[in-house]
Amino acid sequence: MEKKSEDYDVVIIGGGAAGLTAGIYCARARLNTLIIEKSLLGGLATYTSEIENYPGFPDRETGPNIMKQFEKQAKRMGVKIKLTDVKTVRFGIDGHHVETFRNIFHAKSVIIATGGKPRLTKAKNEEKYLYDKGISFCATCDAAQYTDKTVMVIGSGDAAIEEGMFLTKFANKVVVSVLHNEGIMDANQIAQEEALANPKMEFKWNTLVDSFEGDGHLDKVVLKNLKTGELEEVSVDGCFLFIGYIPNTEILKGMIDLNKLGHIKTNDRMETNVSGVFAAGDVRDKELRQVATCVGDGAIAGVNAEKFISDMETFEHKILQKDKVGLIYIYSAIDAIGREILLRMQKIEEEYKDKVKLNVIDAYKGESLCRMLGDACDNKGFCKKFGQVNLPSVVYTKNGRIVEVSSNLTKDTVVNKLNSLLSTTLS
Amino acid sequence: MAEKELNCLGEACPIPLVKAQKAIKEIEVGDLLIVQIDHSCAMKNLPEWAREAKHNVETEETGEGQWEVFIEKTN
Repeated sequence: MEKKSEDYDVVIIGGGAAGLTAGIYCARARLNTLIIEKSLLGGLATYTSEIENYPGFPDRETGPNIMKQFEKQAKRMGVKIKLTDVKTVRFGIDGHHVETFRNIFHAKSVIIATGGKPRLTKAKNEEKYLYDKGISFCATCDAAQYTDKTVMVIGSGDAAIEEGMFLTKFANKVVVSVLHNEGIMDANQIAQEEALANPKMEFKWNTLVDSFEGDGHLDKVVLKNLKTGELEEVSVDGCFLFIGYIPNTEILKGMIDLNKLGHIKTNDRMETNVSGVFAAGDVRDKELRQVATCVGDGAIAGVNAEKFISDMETFEHKILQKDKVGLIYIYSAIDAIGREILLRMQKIEEEYKDKVKLNVIDAYKGESLCRMLGDACDNKGFCKKFGQVNLPSVVYTKNGRIVEVSSNLTKDTVVNKLNSLLSTTLS
Repeated sequence: MAEKELNCLGEACPIPLVKAQKAIKEIEVGDLLIVQIDHSCAMKNLPEWAREAKHNVETEETGEGQWEVFIEKTN
């Protein structure tokens, strides 16, 4: 089957809080924007029964309901949405490619907002009971089927304790397996106090899962006491895992800078180490993973993707113009010598009216233009903002191609070089 | 390539997943199973299960809160 190609300004991988927000910002900037989501729009927040700390929703709204509003807003802005998973990505100076089962999408900029997926316990037989055979990661999805039954929750963080309490509205008993000593949990204090006071919740301290058991469907979890080494069988109808998340970055390994845990490294403009590729939300190397912080990431990534695309157009059509011999002057406006040489360059352009085009880049303001120029010259240290290794510099171009990079800026050198370029152009 | 439609409209989790798991066994490699769902929970577990089983999956929103999950059997 031939894959169908489609062109977009921005392709956003992941339709959670960060991806949808980035989509809203990009589409509002009139960019042709596509979000690719592999399951339900809304991301991890749709797994949350109540979101109490996302501003604007004072009445304990559910995760799915809040995310439905994000989705509506993105759709109203004209964001296009494909519900499928990304098989491969390819990043290149000439644009980026995102491939799914049936399509290849070409994009000027890519925003990665792939979030995370639930971590597994790696206990024995775990894989036998995934996908509705008794192990779940989503209380809002599966709580109702455990009405009047017994469930186990693994973990003691915010998600484990808060979702555990939500489960007590349905289940008769919620057994919580906690790794720590009695009374110690990772969840916020309020949740801990409420959970300890909840008569339907029972805690198994100092335990982790040794194995999952059952004939076809899970009916027993064997816990191991970390202090005594004793095994304890607990009969349950289902088990919910809330022991953290691992970033969805498998398809990006070796293509983009990741930290040790697999999260994507970015700067505070959400730029990755690859030009035109941004990351936002839970997949990013950051401290606090919340809907509120994902929204912030998404907005920043969206705005910077827009800026990148506009800079790229400036770069291709203006900086690397083809009409005349090009003289690109890169300097720092806060450097006095750099400013003096700028006047020299402007005079030279006047002398060569109609033959030479001068373009000026202030390395401080035009950092992404510098990056593009550096990529094009294959010289990554080209205009380090404050390192100023080789600022000011000039780049000579002919027919839109870079001919030479030089930091020799005397009038004679520049004039000689221009003359030689002009004579070869004429011949 | 044959197509099989599986209507799971109005059915909550885990029914659509269980039905799809049964239906995929009854079709040939290369055939397409189209599961119609309108419970958002099935949007989480159905595509994920099918991908874990290495099938090709793509979903279309056919209406507000209603989807068709296309599963191409690959093994």
